[in-house]
Amino acid sequence: MPLSNLPAFAPDLVADLERLGTERVDTPVIQPAEPFLDMAGEDLRRRIFLTESETGKSLCLRPEFTIPVCLRHIETAMGTPRRYAYLGEVFRQRREGANEFYQAGIEDLGETDVARADARAVRDAMTVLENRLPGVTLSVVLGDQSVFEAVVAACGLPAGWQKRLVHAFGNQAQLQRLMADLSSPAPAGVFGPEVERLAILGKLDDEAALIAHIDETMEATGYSTNASRSPADIARRLREKMELANTRLDARTLALLREFLALELSLAEAPAALAAFADKAGLALGEALARFERRVSALREAGADPARIAYRAAFGRPLDYYTGLVFEIAPAGSALVLAGGGRYDRLLTLLGARERIPAVGFSLWLDRIQSLTEAAA
Amino acid sequence: MTITIGLPSKGRMKEDSSAVLARAGFTVTAVGNDRSYRGRVEGRDDIEIAFLSASEISREIAAGTVDFGVTGEDLVREGLAEADARVEFSARLGFGHADVVVAAPEIWLDVDTMADLGDVAADFRARHGRRLTIATKYWRLTQQFFSGNHGIQLYRIVESLGATEGAPASGSADIIVDITSTGSTLVANHLKILADGVILKSEACLVRARKPEHEGDAVVAEIVERVRGVV
Repeated sequence: MPLSNLPAFAPDLVADLERLGTERVDTPVIQPAEPFLDMAGEDLRRRIFLTESETGKSLCLRPEFTIPVCLRHIETAMGTPRRYAYLGEVFRQRREGANEFYQAGIEDLGETDVARADARAVRDAMTVLENRLPGVTLSVVLGDQSVFEAVVAACGLPAGWQKRLVHAFGNQAQLQRLMADLSSPAPAGVFGPEVERLAILGKLDDEAALIAHIDETMEATGYSTNASRSPADIARRLREKMELANTRLDARTLALLREFLALELSLAEAPAALAAFADKAGLALGEALARFERRVSALREAGADPARIAYRAAFGRPLDYYTGLVFEIAPAGSALVLAGGGRYDRLLTLLGARERIPAVGFSLWLDRIQSLTEAAA
Repeated sequence: MTITIGLPSKGRMKEDSSAVLARAGFTVTAVGNDRSYRGRVEGRDDIEIAFLSASEISREIAAGTVDFGVTGEDLVREGLAEADARVEFSARLGFGHADVVVAAPEIWLDVDTMADLGDVAADFRARHGRRLTIATKYWRLTQQFFSGNHGIQLYRIVESLGATEGAPASGSADIIVDITSTGSTLVANHLKILADGVILKSEACLVRARKPEHEGDAVVAEIVERVRGVV
């Protein structure tokens, strides 16, 4: 029994990460909890170890590295591009498995050649895993939310629907439910009695009058001083909602979306298949397809054979800061994810960076890698 | 084996629970004086009564220190993870009715369903520089309902231990999750319950701790059967 639960291969892994042109960073184990809850949502609360400082500040044990590494980057006001690597313990409440385990990974911040940075992230994750697990066949799955966004936009759906669908992307059950809702012939949307009264008065057609009415009501009820949503916000979304209620998802569009979401094939064949899908459906996916193709070429140039990577159109993460590429690597025929990564171009500005910093990265589950190396030994 | 029943220690809930038990043939009396925290059932040495505060009852049932408790379903489901695996709701008692609901400002004319709320939450941060906030003391129920049932992730909970319905007007939160029995407090605060925003229709329940030794116990079975017979 080793005296440390740090995997024996950790020094080799650190050397690998360094060879990939990264600088090693460390972050405190105890982190402010706010950024994690803010980025991932309240659901995370059950899965992290929370505590409070003497002054009532909410703190947690580091549940992952991406947010702390990005926060550190913002605080130290380093220029970009930068390639950070980390290796350390993370802490999560899990029903199964240990509550503390090691993760390592790379966060690639500020590389403006997006295709190249995406390809490098996938290639780096594969390299590190291949070095640790010689003889293990790895299966790589790749997804891209921006293609789905382009499909939804090209279908000519109202903006409100596009937002709903894109927001649900990555959560299969939610997305299926939403599509069924949107295509059911029953009129959608529930409107309160006040809206119906305003409709009868004809106040809904005149946006300025509607805003004025909302403003007066807010004043009269003493709600206005602290209102987070302005009268204009409410009026704008009410119109959006009426638009949503009046248009249904027709059978053809529904079939197209389903066909797209069912796409699952080798990445080498994906650009042609997507182009064929767009042609047949009469959808203009131009720029999104071009970006997708550039990434496939960049992967080839980086030495990652696209024929060995699977593309799954429905694969995404339901977090609003993931914007494009996502990928996962597992041993072939297993669901045990060894590495997960993706592009998170919105995260740094959400965390307070002044300018937009494109970013892509991945993290490795060292406990799972270790159990495979032990099984092989 | 002595079976312990945890009952609310004061107020309306105390009277109503004693009344139900009395109808079922268990007359509860306090040991010593009226303010005592221990009680007994007339003519029954095999049943003990523990008077506890409402919030303690669910905790004591979970810990197994009492066999039964009378308390609101909302408190049990909020207090315990996987409540149904740990306790049995043996009987619904017909008093202490309260719904746990999602309520938004009445003037949010565009918000009447959870789907509307999901839309608002999705780009709240982009528009207002922070997440949508919910004032509540029901952390667990809120999370389950928003994330589990409606796929809404992007919101923040602001803990509120009293006067939750005032939070939207005071600006400390955007919407609330709270209990209501008549809805009049919500109306007075210019809040409306969303059409599909009822998280739980709660009432006082006879709740049993799932303990292996209850299996085949005649007194346990008798209590459940007789209470069920009068509600």
